[in-house]
Amino acid sequence: MASFAAVCRATARLSSNPAVGARGLYICAAFTSSSRCLAAQNFTMPALSPTMTEGNIAAWNVKEGDSFSAGDVLLEIETDKATMDVEAQEDGVMFKILSQGGAKGVQVGTRIAVVAEPGDDLSSLEVPAEEKASQPAESASKGGAAASQASNSGSSQSKSSAVNTSGGGSYVHKLPLLPSTGHLAAQKGLSEEDLSKIKPTGPNGRLLKGDVLAFLGTIDAETPATISSRFEKLGHLDLSNIKVAAPKKTEEPAKKEAAPAPKAPVIENLEINVPVSLSKVVEVQNKINETLGVFLPLSTFISRAADVANSDLPPASRQPTADELFDQVLGLDKVKAAKGTRGVYLPQISAITPSSFVSAPSKKSDIIDILTAKPKKQASPPVIPTVPGLSSGANVFSLVVPKAEGERAQVFLERCKAILEEEPGRLVL
Amino acid sequence: MLASRLIPRYTVRPVVAKSTLPKVVSAPALSQWSRAYSASSDEKDLVIIGGGVAGYVAAIKAGQEGLKVACIEKRGVLGGTCLNVGCIPSKSLLNNSHLYHQILHDTKNRGIEVGDVKLNLANLMKAKETSVSGLTKGIEFLFKKNGVEYIKGEGSFVNEHEIKVALNEGGETSVKGKNILIATGSEATPFPGLEIDEKRVITSTGALSLEKIPESMLVIGGGIIGLEMASVWSRLGTKVTVVEFLGQIGGPGMDTEVSKTIQKLLKKQGLDFKLNTKVLSGDASGEKVQLTVDSVKGGKEETLDAETVLVAIGRRPYTAGLGLENIGLETDERGRVIIDSEYRTKHPHIRSVGDVTFGPMLAHKAEEEAVAAIEHIKKGHGHVNYAAIPSVMYTHPEVAWVGQSEQDLKNQNIPYRVGTFPFSANSRAKTNLDTDGLVKMLADPETDRLLGVHIVGPNAGEMIAEGTLALEYGASSEDIARTCHAHPTLAEAFKEAAMATHGKAIHF
Repeated sequence: MASFAAVCRATARLSSNPAVGARGLYICAAFTSSSRCLAAQNFTMPALSPTMTEGNIAAWNVKEGDSFSAGDVLLEIETDKATMDVEAQEDGVMFKILSQGGAKGVQVGTRIAVVAEPGDDLSSLEVPAEEKASQPAESASKGGAAASQASNSGSSQSKSSAVNTSGGGSYVHKLPLLPSTGHLAAQKGLSEEDLSKIKPTGPNGRLLKGDVLAFLGTIDAETPATISSRFEKLGHLDLSNIKVAAPKKTEEPAKKEAAPAPKAPVIENLEINVPVSLSKVVEVQNKINETLGVFLPLSTFISRAADVANSDLPPASRQPTADELFDQVLGLDKVKAAKGTRGVYLPQISAITPSSFVSAPSKKSDIIDILTAKPKKQASPPVIPTVPGLSSGANVFSLVVPKAEGERAQVFLERCKAILEEEPGRLVL
Repeated sequence: MLASRLIPRYTVRPVVAKSTLPKVVSAPALSQWSRAYSASSDEKDLVIIGGGVAGYVAAIKAGQEGLKVACIEKRGVLGGTCLNVGCIPSKSLLNNSHLYHQILHDTKNRGIEVGDVKLNLANLMKAKETSVSGLTKGIEFLFKKNGVEYIKGEGSFVNEHEIKVALNEGGETSVKGKNILIATGSEATPFPGLEIDEKRVITSTGALSLEKIPESMLVIGGGIIGLEMASVWSRLGTKVTVVEFLGQIGGPGMDTEVSKTIQKLLKKQGLDFKLNTKVLSGDASGEKVQLTVDSVKGGKEETLDAETVLVAIGRRPYTAGLGLENIGLETDERGRVIIDSEYRTKHPHIRSVGDVTFGPMLAHKAEEEAVAAIEHIKKGHGHVNYAAIPSVMYTHPEVAWVGQSEQDLKNQNIPYRVGTFPFSANSRAKTNLDTDGLVKMLADPETDRLLGVHIVGPNAGEMIAEGTLALEYGASSEDIARTCHAHPTLAEAFKEAAMATHGKAIHF
């Protein structure tokens, strides 16, 4: 594996080739940078000169399945200037030739073949996906690659390291590097180019000491990723195997069911009815309509009346809370004396004499839903279209409340009555 | 007549003069209606049930994010268990009792001779209350500052969007929320058969406000809460015995080596320990409270008695009166609200964070979750790294850890390398005459990546922040060792332990 990877390293060395009167090339698959398949590597059209953008493949000297060793001429490439030999840098096996001899105008960086490591079982290899490296990146990496080759040649350790890596892609690391990582890189003479090949496994893609050690071949290549996945798991709450508690008592739901059906006799609940005449409201409504040409629906009057009536209602009689008891102990109850609080009632309204209006049933049920729901805070939007089914004469405002709130609800309805019957005009001013 | 008065005014704002309205409607109420109307008619973006650490942090964060938020709290003060009957008051007592203890026993050899030292328990408690009330009022101020509506009362679900609040001052209101956050926290788990009266049979709450120093105290449960309270009263003169079911103190999360070290140190301070001991029953009817205990392995039943028994066997989620059944929310068998990885219950707009749901019951964990939950609501992504949540026990010396313990790694067959450094080799600890304890680091033997940090020693609770940061960034022990630490500081022990982990410490 190691030797093969070097085949694909981005190195280009020129040497003279007297036979063709041109320059021969030791080249390997140029600048492959992100193959994910460890066994097979893409071999791309090399750039034989800094200005070369495309070339023709004159002929392949190896066939698919042929083994080759370092120094063998793999193929001949024609450019507008010359014909050059491309030699293998390392031993390998030609797995697939994708651009046959005679192909014209092959762009630099285009995959022309796939090569494998000597001894690889070709039948089980997969052809890696083609990489679409951009042209400038290619040529940029060329210089760096050559440089790294030069620096590597001195140290066999570094060489094997570089070799170990080429499976990875190119990574931009967060800077500054961790102290240990930067130190190790400097110590081992890793260039930026080398570092960019190391896959980081740290949090948020940070390059760790372990990643560099794995790159250098000092430790098992898989260890950093294994540790990271363990941290990933520890980083989350374990929400597997939740055992749901057995349901306890079912009293509460039963009580809840009773609420949506206020007509049914419910022992805890109390229905309070107050007759209210809306004639004055209608009068005001008409007056406003005549004078200003604005039609204000009855529902606006009613919801605003309810809103006013809801303020400062006497508290419901109920069991004191623990905190209240505690306050009593401290004698604070008088300080905090139970003042009136804001209610959340909306009256349910029905005409005493059934009106002749044809009411839209869906609308009506909507409103009843709203009205009969237990305490609610202003469920109706500020402006609702006309409430159908209301008599302009006498209506019954009713509320279904828990017994303890009887007094509170009574006060609320009385207030509604007073406001709507006495001076409804004030509501819309 | 009415119209003539009505119409001209229509164009201007109504100025309510004395009106003919009946008495039941007060004039100001009517003049307010237009404002009140718009305020009450719309629902909140977020309603939070619980004003503890999880709830108040979520409320402030939500306010900062521009959400319209209400926070319901029934205690009457914000801050929850942590501020009122937990972390904060206990730290006050721990700090001051340590000072007292030190003056009594540890000044002579420092060249300070103190005359008569007397303890004024009432003032000790007053100092605690001052700290607490200052902090809780601070939160109330932050609520105002960030536009959080604070509703004092007990909230319970009416339906999935509406919460009824029985107000502390009497009466009832209800709030609606597009999003709802359950942050009702936890309560002390009672010991079956012993009724808590917070005088003789107490929980941590009672232990923070005893009116006199008891002669003797039995602590059921040798976890962090038990040991902190045991420390306080032992320093003030109580004879304390800690009964623990497990084979080690500090709870199962504490590194065994660290646990043994702190046990030795606490024993030196006068605490007694009965490990591997099960409490079978309790009886508070007599003059003294009696406990019948037995060895976990069985066979050595005996009776212990003390003036006070502290029940510190853990905490359980608190959802009483919340009306979870009204919206069909289930809890798991330990009472925790069931959530997914984004803190959502089965109603996606209702989330839950803190002690009431899964994970360790720690204030700082709740705080992180609260922020993450708000980020989920507002930005669609939030995250808490549960692999880097520190734990601290504020005894003296303190114990703090983050990451995995040695026994964790051993049990999971994960290879590791250990590096330790004793405070007795640290210059600052030496000058402070406070040299008990050590820093212990665990790292991967191959990659050197930090796996856990365990400290027992002076200021461990502050020092663990560095370990947490290191874990958060995936640091290796070498990274810590290559980071400059000021001299002379206790933190140098941290650095030296890191050096010992991948190489050798300089000073040991």
